[in-house]
Order: sequence, then C-alpha cells, then structure tokens
Amino acid sequence: MNKANKLSRRTLLKGIGLGAGAAALAACAAPPAAPSAPASQAPAAPEPTAAPAAAGPVEIIHWGFTGGLGKTEEKLATMWNEMQSEVKVTLQVQGNYEETAQKLTAALAAQQGPDMVLLSDVWWFKFFRAKALMPLNDLIKEQGIDTADFVESLWNEGVRKGVQYWIPFARSTPLFYYNADMLEAAGLPVRGPETWDEMREWAPKLVKKEGGTTKVAAFAHPGAASYVAWLFQCVIRQFGGRYSDQDFNILLTQPDSIRAGQFYQDTVNKEGWAIASQDVTKDFVTGLTATAMMSTGALAGVLRDAQFKVGTAFLPKEKFFNCCTGGSGLAILATTPMEKARAAIKYIDYATGNDGGAFWSQNTGYMPVRKSTATSESYKAFFEKVPQAKTAVEQLPLTEAQDAARVFIPGGDQIIGKGLERILIGNEPVEKVFTEVKAILEKEAEPVKQDIAAMG
Amino acid sequence: MSDVIRIVRRDWREWLIFIAFVGPNLLLFGIFTYYPLAQNGVLAFTDYNLITRSGRFTGLRNFETVFGSTQFSKILANTFVFTTVSVALLLGLGLMIALLLNQKLRGRNAARSILFSPTILAGAAIAIVWIYIFDPRFGFIYAILRPFGIVAPKWLTDPNWAMPAIIIVYVWKNLGYATVIFIAGLQAIPRELYEAARVDGAGAFDRFWHVTLPGLSPVMFFLVVTTILSSFQAFDIINIMTKGGPVNATNTLIFHLYELFFVQSSAGRAAVVALLLFVLMMVVTLLQVRYLERRVSYA
Repeated sequence: MNKANKLSRRTLLKGIGLGAGAAALAACAAPPAAPSAPASQAPAAPEPTAAPAAAGPVEIIHWGFTGGLGKTEEKLATMWNEMQSEVKVTLQVQGNYEETAQKLTAALAAQQGPDMVLLSDVWWFKFFRAKALMPLNDLIKEQGIDTADFVESLWNEGVRKGVQYWIPFARSTPLFYYNADMLEAAGLPVRGPETWDEMREWAPKLVKKEGGTTKVAAFAHPGAASYVAWLFQCVIRQFGGRYSDQDFNILLTQPDSIRAGQFYQDTVNKEGWAIASQDVTKDFVTGLTATAMMSTGALAGVLRDAQFKVGTAFLPKEKFFNCCTGGSGLAILATTPMEKARAAIKYIDYATGNDGGAFWSQNTGYMPVRKSTATSESYKAFFEKVPQAKTAVEQLPLTEAQDAARVFIPGGDQIIGKGLERILIGNEPVEKVFTEVKAILEKEAEPVKQDIAAMG
Repeated sequence: MSDVIRIVRRDWREWLIFIAFVGPNLLLFGIFTYYPLAQNGVLAFTDYNLITRSGRFTGLRNFETVFGSTQFSKILANTFVFTTVSVALLLGLGLMIALLLNQKLRGRNAARSILFSPTILAGAAIAIVWIYIFDPRFGFIYAILRPFGIVAPKWLTDPNWAMPAIIIVYVWKNLGYATVIFIAGLQAIPRELYEAARVDGAGAFDRFWHVTLPGLSPVMFFLVVTTILSSFQAFDIINIMTKGGPVNATNTLIFHLYELFFVQSSAGRAAVVALLLFVLMMVVTLLQVRYLERRVSYA
C-alpha cells in the first residue's frame, strides 16, 4: 500500500511536471503575439503625419541576435523606429542561430511565428524547403531596392530558381587574425602568413611550452559546435579539394581533400603547433594562441577585449586562395500578412543600406553587403579608425559561396564537424573518417535531392 | 443464482467507486503521458517534418538509421557509463556524508545547507562555472595542481577526460539531494535498535551492517530508482559544457535525442531514441521493483 501510494504520487507529479513543462515550452516558443501593452518603451504618441497611416505604424516582430550583437541590432531597430513613423520594428532576442531556428520551428508548428527572422547560412534553406519563407522578388521590386548594388556572392546565395528568399544582412567571412605583439616578439614579419607553408615555418617560433603543456599555440581550431566545418571549408578548397559540388556529389575522398584533412591533423597531432580549442575567440584574446581563423563578425568583440595589437589578414593560400561566405540573412515568413511584409521589406532596405547597413557592419565587423556602402565616405573614415576591418572588406569580392554538403544537407555542418573532431582530437586516419562522413552525407542528401527535384 | 447476481452487482458497484477515484488521475495521465507516448510511437515510423507538419510512413527506416549509425554503440556505452558511475558515486558518497552529518558535530546544519545548495542551483549556471574551474590553462583546478608540478588534464577537450568531468559536475550538483534523503532515512531508524545491538555486544561495523543498512533499505531503494531515472535524463550540463563532444565522448541517449530533433530536424529518428529511452527506463525500473525491492524491509 505504502509503495503503491508512493508510486502513484510520483507518477502523478511526473504527469503534472510534463504538463507544466509543455506549457512552459509553449510559452517559450510563442512570441508575445502583438502585445496589447507596450513591451519595452511606450511608443511615441501618435503624431499627425501626412502619410495615410491612420491606424498608426505597422508593427513587425523581428527575431534576431542575442548578446552584444543583439544590443547593436536593437540600436539599429531603435534608430529606424525613431527616424520614421510608418513601420515599427520590435526586436525579439531568441538566442544563437541554432536556438533561433529551433524556436522558429516550434513557433511555426504552433502557427505563431514572427514576421521577419534572422536565419543563418545553414538554416534558411531548411525553412525554404518547408515552404515557410516568402518569395521576395515582387516586394523587392516594389520597394525599388537596387539588387545590383549587393555583393554578388552574398546576394546569390539567397536565390533559388531566380527567386529571392533570403537577403544578406549579418554576412561574414573567415578572416585570419594575428597577435601582432607576439609575431613581433618572435622576430617574425608583422603580417599574416602568405601560405600555409609559411605558417608552418613560423609556428615553432610562436609556440611556447611549459612542462609538456602548450602554454601558447601558434594556431587554434574550434570544435564541431563552433563551426569547424565552416572554416575548414576554405582550407579544403585552398588545397584543391571540396566537401561537395552544388549537385550534392560528395568530394571528401578526393586526394586533395584528404591532403587538406591530413594537414589539419598534423598541425595538432604531428607538428604540434595548433590546438583544438573549446573557444577560439577567448583563447585568442587571452593570448593562448598567436593566430586563428575567425569570423569577421568577431572583429568588434576581439578589438574590444584584446589587450594587445590585433592584426587581420587574408586567409593563407595553398594551391589556391579561397575564402567562403558565411553568417546570416533576413527572411520574411510565408505566413506574414502582405501589409506587414511590405513594412518588413522597408526595414530590410534600411538595415542593409548605406545608413543602417553601415552602422550595423561598422559596429559588429559583419560585411557591408552593398558595394556602395563599402565605398561610402562613412566607410573611408571607418577604415582610418579600424584598419583591421579593411582587410575583411578587401577580401570580400574574392569570396565564394559555400558547398551544398555543408549548408543544404540537414545537419551537414555538424556531420562534417564531428568528422573533423575525430581527425583533430581523436587522431583517427583521415581517409577512413572522410570515407565514413561521405557515406553519411550521401544518405542525408537523398531527401533534399528529392525535394529539390519535386520543386521543379 | 441469486448469489451470482449479488456478486455481480457488488462487483459493479466497486467498479464504479474504483473508476470515480482513479478516473481523474487516468484522464490526466492519458492526456499528458500516454497520448504523447502513443504519438511518439507513431512518429518513429514517419519522416515527419516539424515545419510543414507533415510526414510519410517510412516503415523501419528510422530504426535502421539510428541503430545502424557508427556512433550509436558509443552513445549507448556512454549512457551506461554515465548512469552507473554517477549513481554509484551519488549513493556511496551520499551515504558517507549522511553518516558524517548525522553525528552531533559542530556546524552540522551549516554543512548540510552548503552541501544541499548545488541541488537547487540551475544546471546551466553550474555548468558555466565549472567550465572555468576545468580550464586547463587558467582554471581553478590548474591553479591548485600547478604548485605540485602536476599537469592539469584538458578536461573538456580530451575525449578521455570529458566524461569524468561531466560526471564530477553531475555528482557535485546532485550529491546534496542524495545526502538529505539518506539523513532523513537515518533519523527514521529507531534508537532502540542501536541500544539493543549494543547490549548484544555489536561493534560499530556490526551496528552499521545489521541495523543501519537494513533500516536504510527503503530510502536506498527509492534513491536507486530516482537517481537512475534522472541520470538517464541529464541534459543541461552536457549541453552547456561539451555539447556531446569531443568526438561524441559525452554524447548520451538524451543528448542524441536532442541532436536528432533540433539539429538534424529529424523528428522520426528522435522518436526512435525516445522510444528506446522509454523502454530502457521501464525495464530498469521493473527489474529494480522485481529484484531489489525484495530486499527492502519496511520496518
């Protein structure tokens, strides 16, 4: 009896817990739909305007960045809200790219999504495949956005069959960062290495060991969770290999791809000048690694936190130079009413344009997505102040769109990333790992290929 | 004949009372436990897409993919290691500390509160603090080991150390809970039993073995069941500290479920793992009820 009591009470509690958990989850996922009371600050009293906006501004809910980037994004939205009275953008912070996408998935299932959302390079396609994103061509035309002004490699990534679904906003590329003080102290030229061979020559002078442990590494690789597959994508191409072509043929086991994998492995396990780091940005600003490849989006944070002179350079070459695009863009959801979609495209025009876009990229390190922004007066002044940003902008025209295997196969980034972890940390034979990763990618690509074929 | 009718009628009345008492409970379970469970079972046989909210029947393909993946045996082994080691440590250390704190010592109450406090802290916050403690180059452990010339392991980036690191944090967080339950159990053992044992000439060890342990058996049974079940579900610490890495070294069934669902957006495969977790927990609990509870004495 005693036991029965205990058990049933426990199971009941579990049941209640589940119910409460589900309710809490639902509460997390659902955006406060059109708040009846002003959420943060009271909107300015309706001013008499010439515009026929009798019912007040159109409010759009925008899911965006978290943390420091979120604060800058918030400022951008506030600047917009203050400069006009037709469209009011309410930014809702949702977390990192993965969390935002996860919450959007849940919100769509509950039919309570936002109007506009920031989606990363690997996530937008999933929502496109599920027909959750609005085709934007007509809106873009209506708004009169000069599409030719956008950097081609960035703009074209959001186009499927001539239709735009995803507009570049927080777009980044990998960039080579170096600790200028360390290079100088080691008697090396204060610049980035031209080639990986040069990096190899420099490395022993940068590494500092103490009783068997590496105190300072010459270079740091991130783990799977921090997009090692994004950075290695450039390196594999520099060596002449690739993850895949755009038709999902996986090219990981080609000799040059394996050579690149071998190089990565050797940097840590044989030559010992690079480390596998849990947080590359932290390790770089705290002086635990002399150089690293990181996103241009990390630039503002690195410059703020580093206590030494930071330099930036193009990525090193091997057979070729290569640098891939990355980061995120803005999309309008297919469920958004036309009135709100029109309002959203106005904001997108501003946020990617010469005023808003310049403010955004100068304060974060993301790329100016329009060519006219990069050549504007404001950018000339900015480069004077922050010369490190100039490297990134100069590298931008040389960038290439990413491989289908990473961005279009569901979980592709993590599948490749985990393979790279096995090579870097597990020290497993490169060819064996790449062969296995290839098989997984080929299997996961099947439904995507079918969907694309079905879409015509 | 009339006897039969009477029995049937009485049965019928008892049934009504039974339903009246059990009905509301069953309804709640039905809605919040059994319905999702059945739904999950269906999901496992489809390629359900959360965004479009549609899916096709795919037979056993999800099972083949999940069980056939090269990392699956590693994930199962991780789950087993994590559960057995952390439960053993929780019970062993919990009992030792409970015995200590059950003595009339100075500062006993303060010690109990301090020990219990990690239990009520959020797992995510604890995980972030421990990332700094484990940092092999400027962390707390590094600072302690350095004067002795010992090289601190790369706790979270070395596949051999990541699992121990996770277990340490998990045990640290939950030790207070086990201890408090043990203390309650110890205090419920009648004093007279110890006095009688003493009169019979039992030494400290005999008193522990023949009085304390049997007296604690109901509490021990409760703790074994609950700690095993909750260790199967340990997610927050793993997600914050290692994300199942490096190289799947800390990838457990529950984390794999999350990965499949939220990273790979594969609801069907996640449902397969959920089903497996359910079956595993059910079997473990049934085995415990069947074999362990026999040895429990509800004195």
